Amino acid sequence: MICVLLIIATITANAEKLTDNLNYNVRLGYNLGGTAPIGIPSSIRGMDSYDPGWNLSYGFDVQKDIRGPWGVMTGIHLENKGMEVDARVKNYHMEMVQGGQRLEGYFTGNNVVNVEEWLLTVPIMATYHVGGNVKLKLGPYISYAMSHKFYGHAYNGYLREGTPTGDRINLGNTEEQRGSYDFSDDMRRLQFGIDVGADWYFSKRWGAYADLSWGLTGIHKSDFKTIEQTLYPIFGTVGLTYKLK
Amino acid sequence: MQSSKLIWVIILLCGCLSSCFKEEPLNAECDIESVWVHTDNPDDFFFNRTDTIINVPYSKSEITFYVKRNSDITHMAPMFKITEGATIEPANGSLQDFSRGPVTYKVTSQDKQWNRVYNVAFQERSRTVTDTLKFDFDNYELDKEYGKFYVWYDKNEDGKTTYLWATGNPGFRYAYSTMKDPDRYPTTPIAEGIDGASVKLETRSTGAFGVINNKRIAAGNLFYGFFDTKYVLTETMKSTNFGHPFDKTPIKFEGYYRYKSGDKYQDKNGNEIPGKKDQGSIYSVMYRNHDNAGNEVMLHGDDVLTNPHIVAVARMVDVTGTEDWTKFELDFKYFDNIDETLLNNYGYNLAIVFSSSYEGDHFEGAVGSTLLIDKVRLICKKTE
Repeated sequence: MICVLLIIATITANAEKLTDNLNYNVRLGYNLGGTAPIGIPSSIRGMDSYDPGWNLSYGFDVQKDIRGPWGVMTGIHLENKGMEVDARVKNYHMEMVQGGQRLEGYFTGNNVVNVEEWLLTVPIMATYHVGGNVKLKLGPYISYAMSHKFYGHAYNGYLREGTPTGDRINLGNTEEQRGSYDFSDDMRRLQFGIDVGADWYFSKRWGAYADLSWGLTGIHKSDFKTIEQTLYPIFGTVGLTYKLK
Repeated sequence: MQSSKLIWVIILLCGCLSSCFKEEPLNAECDIESVWVHTDNPDDFFFNRTDTIINVPYSKSEITFYVKRNSDITHMAPMFKITEGATIEPANGSLQDFSRGPVTYKVTSQDKQWNRVYNVAFQERSRTVTDTLKFDFDNYELDKEYGKFYVWYDKNEDGKTTYLWATGNPGFRYAYSTMKDPDRYPTTPIAEGIDGASVKLETRSTGAFGVINNKRIAAGNLFYGFFDTKYVLTETMKSTNFGHPFDKTPIKFEGYYRYKSGDKYQDKNGNEIPGKKDQGSIYSVMYRNHDNAGNEVMLHGDDVLTNPHIVAVARMVDVTGTEDWTKFELDFKYFDNIDETLLNNYGYNLAIVFSSSYEGDHFEGAVGSTLLIDKVRLICKKTE
């Protein structure tokens, strides 16, 4: 990331007046991805279902060509990152929490996780015009989570309380028989990561774009230990962009 | 360009989410699920064929085979069904001498990280000598595993300690993990009784977990039987196993009680039912513990008063408010004759049930309903 910043700094230092020749565009995209641990632990056995949800990204960007093919881009994106995953787990350490009461242990069965976040994101990217009407983009982003939800339930399985030798509690598949949790309050508001992507203008004003934003901060606060693995938001975005100027 | 980028994104995501699944971890559990013994003449050792096999509840680590008096238990070879991949010491099926007391078995999990220690005993079923069984509930202690709630025990005629009374306290512990005070569980001892201590059963709210799982109240209960925590969330009615083998013919069921209904009677969804008063439950049931095919019969929350194997019931119809200690005297009503041979072979179970909310098994009742119980007597037919 330091590398990218250096490039941007060098380029801008040699540039003409900053406000000259600015390109403005708006974009509307669809975010598809998930929050997942990097290196899935062996206690997660498989995925029974995955619902990417209806995650939209609205953006306004300013781009400036600086020298040759190089340029910079920044902007503000209002976006939603969410998903619902139903995973099969074995001896997965977890905690059911409701209203201050908690039940912790090792769960074998199915675990549904819902994540929903509304974020304000500011990317700062270097752009590179590769020819034709395609620009590559790479740079860091910073996000502020305006709303965040992380909740789910364990079902169709059993929990061994405390340790794998502890009391066994069966969990069923109705609301009355499953174990619910909600860790929304343990999520962090400020996130950052790396964004890489490409814009392709197929007409004078209209273009398509694809980005991959890789979170480098976990979605939960760093002192949150209930879920042993840190979950990182990794989302791809595809959408349309319209050049205003 | 655009489409190849998209493919990249998809490949990356899919790669992350699916191909990264690692090999299945080895099993971490190490339970004895069941244990059985094979003998050429099971009738010489056991009262019932079903006594040769025991399905072990996950919460139990003491396993007892009940055998006939003077059985030769010096050469028994119990067989164990344990968690897949786990190992057991001494070896599964090895000959052991149980005449010198329980034999300790250690089960180690497949991943070698965990182990459990079990004691397996062969014990003579001692005959009930007295014609009047007395339950004064003066013997109680904090549960040995968690030290969070009370359990009750009796001293047998031969001086042995038996834990034949159960409560729903272990289930309440799951709902109320922050509860540190054992006196705020649904079933507690109180110092002042008719003589010595008595038992206080109080219907309690189960808090946030109770709401989300639609099990909003926990009635205080005390019963002659066993509480299986495995089923508290799923088949809750199955968690109460009512009854223990009994070799006498009960005639009368007596004792002392006090009852106070809580203020607001609520239905399962937590809605108040105006005008409805809570009641307690006091009853005892005698039933055949095997069906005609020889399968074991155990009464649970959903059939404790309706199971076709019930032969006699002594039940108090209205357990309503009484300020002072009040005596209850109930006669057993028999629907079937007692088969003496079956009785002597422990073919009947006796259940005794007390609850602070009569519809508590359906999670309906009034928080605060309180039933006090003391000096319970079970008067049986005299045997020569």
